[in-house]
Amino acid sequence: MARQMKPGRFYKPMSKRTLPRLLQTPAVLLLLFWMLIPLGMTLYFSFIRYVLNSLRKPEWTTPSLSNWRGFGNYEYVLFNAKDFWLAVQNSLFIVSSVIVLTVVLGLAIAVLINRSFPGQGIVRVLLISPFFVMPAVNAVLWINMILDPVLGLNGLAVEGLNALVGGLKEFPVLGSFFSLWPEIEPISFRATQTSAYAVIIMVTWQWTPFAILIFMTSLQSEDQQQKEAAILDGAGPWSQFRNLTLPHLARPIAIVVMIQAIFHLSLYAEIEIVSRGNGNKNLPYLIGDFATNNIGAASATGIFAVILANIVAIFLLRMVGKSLMD
Amino acid sequence: MSTYSQSSNFGKVFWPVLAWTVALIFFFPIFWLIFTSFKTDADAVKPDHLFIFQPTLENYINMTENYDYWRFAINSVITSTFATILALIVGVPAAYAMAFNPSRHTKDILVWMLSTKMLPAAAVLYPMTFLTKNFLDVYDTHFLVIMVLCLINLPIVIWMLFTYFKEIPREIIEAGKMDGVSTWGEIKDILIPLAWGGVASTALLCFIFCWNEAYWTVRLTTTEAATLSKLIEGNRAPEGLFFGRLSAVSAAAVGPIVVLGWFCQKQLVKGLTFGAVK
Repeated sequence: MARQMKPGRFYKPMSKRTLPRLLQTPAVLLLLFWMLIPLGMTLYFSFIRYVLNSLRKPEWTTPSLSNWRGFGNYEYVLFNAKDFWLAVQNSLFIVSSVIVLTVVLGLAIAVLINRSFPGQGIVRVLLISPFFVMPAVNAVLWINMILDPVLGLNGLAVEGLNALVGGLKEFPVLGSFFSLWPEIEPISFRATQTSAYAVIIMVTWQWTPFAILIFMTSLQSEDQQQKEAAILDGAGPWSQFRNLTLPHLARPIAIVVMIQAIFHLSLYAEIEIVSRGNGNKNLPYLIGDFATNNIGAASATGIFAVILANIVAIFLLRMVGKSLMD
Repeated sequence: MSTYSQSSNFGKVFWPVLAWTVALIFFFPIFWLIFTSFKTDADAVKPDHLFIFQPTLENYINMTENYDYWRFAINSVITSTFATILALIVGVPAAYAMAFNPSRHTKDILVWMLSTKMLPAAAVLYPMTFLTKNFLDVYDTHFLVIMVLCLINLPIVIWMLFTYFKEIPREIIEAGKMDGVSTWGEIKDILIPLAWGGVASTALLCFIFCWNEAYWTVRLTTTEAATLSKLIEGNRAPEGLFFGRLSAVSAAAVGPIVVLGWFCQKQLVKGLTFGAVK
């Protein structure tokens, strides 16, 4: 009897449960290892004293349980390292600014190009291009060749403007008016605060195309009949946008916000290139800073970064998750 | 899609002109990069040579002769290609199972997968370097770069494939089952042909992300497996020096992927939306 049952018993679970599980296993295992092993090591290092170079305490240079420090590294990062809160603040400031800017710009541009006009295809290609540029190239390009206060276009433009005003001062009558104009100083984007703006500018430039792409695709699926009915009812363009287009775009907007939060919380190349040595940093950069010597503190900061990322993730998934799964 | 015929004469001219202006502003930095790459280092920082200069290929010749551009480029192609293939090999079956045989935990698994993307790379860099250098002895190998690129993109790949697969009517798969098609046959003969567009755009996006990755590829390689991002890293001279050279290297690094992006624009639009647009 048992024998007769077997084929059926064997066949059913294999097809309904086991196989799908088996198919997911490689992906799940790979990501599990990818997450757990480094995370476990980071966790371990965050509880011990571990530095790369120390003349005074050479025993701290090898990771070992005998250098146990408890929550000492965390306390150090929170209360003694002055940059921690600056870094957290900066991380959130940059992420939220970029998200707001890209969504607003992306919406405006997507609506602008969602009509047929001469050269539409080329306009699209031009608009999408920044998205393919390597982040490192993006940062190098902007900070050196465009925003540099002396050699970049920023500096050259201001210099040209000053020369123009200077020339106008020579005129007999108008000159007295223009002499009131002060010399303009180009903004230096390498200072502590302004460098965050530089990062926001370059990341916005790179990711606005992403927002445009998604909104554009979504706009094309908008219900035109509904819109025409609205026009017949005398709805103006703004009211059409607010009451019809924006609700239609709710889900794409959610996706743009979520994907960008994921990518920008771990922003590194841009910060590193723009902010090197000027005191401005975000959380990943602060970790890199610590990791040049103090692995314990770097690991503790890493754990804080993981916690922050999780808070943002929970918040976002509450907001977005449902619409994604339906 | 509405046209400008509805709007006034002013609007007929104004909106297209505005669209073109915005597009040109967005493209300008890339244009400027390419433009500067044809200047000598000296010309690149002279205001009076801003637009008028003697164009030169010197930077590009220098780059291929002295900086070994092709080795970095080939490494980029190899690692991005294999990482993408590997991500698909692992991702397609997983996404297939989740889309067609979802269990109670499918949603949680998907969310968890995405959350691994939120781990700040900097937090695990040190352990990773430590492991790959001291224990596994794979530091600076193509194998390591391919694995890392595959792993960091796997969550996005699975998500995208999942949303595509979910749009395929289940009945088609069921009908295949009735006809006694094996699971592998289902994937190969039914799923892949139906979801081909989705798989292609997923692959494309994965490839682009791999190509542009600059955190791990710079830090886990020295020479053997170094990709184009490492070449950029190495040519990032301090402020203002060598703009010409830097531009040429940068233009050559982003050029292939930008052109690829142009060609696959339509395909990419589909992929990027994560099933957001129906």
